[in-house]
Amino acid sequence: MPMVLLECDKAIPEREKHIYLKVEGEDSRDYLPISNASTIPGTLSERGCAFCGAKLVIGGVLKDTIQMIHGPIGCAYDTWHTKRYPTDNGHFNMKYVWSTDMKESHIVFGGEKRLEKSINEAFDEMPDIKRMFVYTTCPTALIGDDIKAVAKKVMEERPDVDIFCCECPGFAGVSQSKGHHVLNIGWINEKVGTLEPTITSDYTMNFIGDFNIQGDTQLLQTYWDRLGIQVIAHFTGNGTYDDLRCMHRAQLNVVNCARSSGYIANELKKQYGIPRLDIDSWGFSYMAEGIRKICAFFGIEERGEKLIEEEYAKWKGKLDWYKERLQGKKMAIWTGGPRLWHWTKSVEDDLGIQVVAMSSKFGHQEDFEKVIARGQNGTYYIDDGNELEFFEIIDLVKPDVIFTGPRVGELVKKLHIPYVNGHGYHNGPYMGFEGFVNLARDTYNAVHNPLLKLAATDIRGGEQPVRFLEAAE
Amino acid sequence: MSEQQVLQLFDYVQKRYLWQFFSRSWDREENINGIVAAAADMLNGKHNHKHAPMDRLFYADAKEMVKDFRENFPWIDELEPTRIDEVMDSLKAMLIDHTITKSLNHELNHSLY
Repeated sequence: MPMVLLECDKAIPEREKHIYLKVEGEDSRDYLPISNASTIPGTLSERGCAFCGAKLVIGGVLKDTIQMIHGPIGCAYDTWHTKRYPTDNGHFNMKYVWSTDMKESHIVFGGEKRLEKSINEAFDEMPDIKRMFVYTTCPTALIGDDIKAVAKKVMEERPDVDIFCCECPGFAGVSQSKGHHVLNIGWINEKVGTLEPTITSDYTMNFIGDFNIQGDTQLLQTYWDRLGIQVIAHFTGNGTYDDLRCMHRAQLNVVNCARSSGYIANELKKQYGIPRLDIDSWGFSYMAEGIRKICAFFGIEERGEKLIEEEYAKWKGKLDWYKERLQGKKMAIWTGGPRLWHWTKSVEDDLGIQVVAMSSKFGHQEDFEKVIARGQNGTYYIDDGNELEFFEIIDLVKPDVIFTGPRVGELVKKLHIPYVNGHGYHNGPYMGFEGFVNLARDTYNAVHNPLLKLAATDIRGGEQPVRFLEAAE
Repeated sequence: MSEQQVLQLFDYVQKRYLWQFFSRSWDREENINGIVAAAADMLNGKHNHKHAPMDRLFYADAKEMVKDFRENFPWIDELEPTRIDEVMDSLKAMLIDHTITKSLNHELNHSLY
């Protein structure tokens, strides 16, 4: 049964290989959706581009770094302000956006001079900032602008600045995932090991694959402070450029988002012998397990138990209040990739919620192996889902709430189904113990909010209110 | 040793732990071998005196797994040491079979990350 050809996909039967319905007695040895593959012509993908994966997801998070986007203005605007990753220095990364604003004449005659001018202008305008990422985009990659040569020239002229070049135009891969990959590998090969950190603790780690969405990193940092663990680099939530150059000195790499950042953890293990420990930072049970593992690695188990006990005492009662009221509710998760496998068991175990459909924009088969192992029978697992498929899946599984981004979220709101922002959060942070109570609260508010149902009622007159949806059919 | 006992442990591990699903086949094999061996030692009451970074990692992962096993499958503490080794060897073989040998993941054997 397993691989599913939806009604809406009859004209593009290749989509059958991307949609799996798990049934009793099967596992990912039997069926594994194709993923990280080119979007099929005829489908309307929800994916982003490779450049977006590098800039919006990873680089743009840094709190002390100019993000110079060498391309048309739209590449800058569309990867700015669409994700909420604050910083503790006044949100420098979210206040400003930089672009070389390439026009037709620059494409014809080359954009290197314009890039050099833009880099210098940016540093001149912001004299306190000495670090920069430069990104190629589709047009500047196609015309062959040598951004590394330009960066090298500027660094020679301005010895106090350091520039990292990320050559990952939008067309470089099938989705955002390629951008994650290019930035990870570029950074480890060119920048890690070029600076030495000040060590302040016997216990040091890098925290990899957490982007401080609405304060996730800052919340977790309170745990590491209480445990006496020095985080040498946050990759990249609330992080700095120079901290990331020091990643080679950590004793342990703790990985949350293995999809966007597993590459650098793998390379740190291969090149520097630093072990990689993958954890889930969402959910009470998972977070406690992650803390216990980190503390066991360092031999400070008592500190971990004390912290967990304090956090449970503070937050578990609140979580249980929501669990009682969310029991049996049905959730769909339509996000990037890892949150499918991070969340499916944590909302099931900690909140009593049943996850009935999951769709990944840029997950690889590794992500589907994880989520199929953790997810329930009778649940749909979809790679690179499109709009019509979402409509059909909604009819099949009838979710009470959908965790997804604003683009798809606005779509499902028109069906009067509540959505919670699964990318940037509604009212986060969502990581850690306090964070998962926030997630539970937002889910509760979404599921029990009467406004969406009321909004479907036509109150313009007539004896019987007419549901808009019914009227439209 | 009953096959049912191994299956119980296997199902639990599949749902719970991320280390079996690392990016490449050699990473998965290294984790499975290291963590299951460390867990078998703990279940047999042997103390871990190794201090190499990877050994400390395996210890940390194994410690949580053994705690979970003891909570969810109390029969495990009733087994003789030789039976524990048999069960853990079978668990290891099943994990390697599922996550490496018969995995449909096309990226498992790429030479680069």
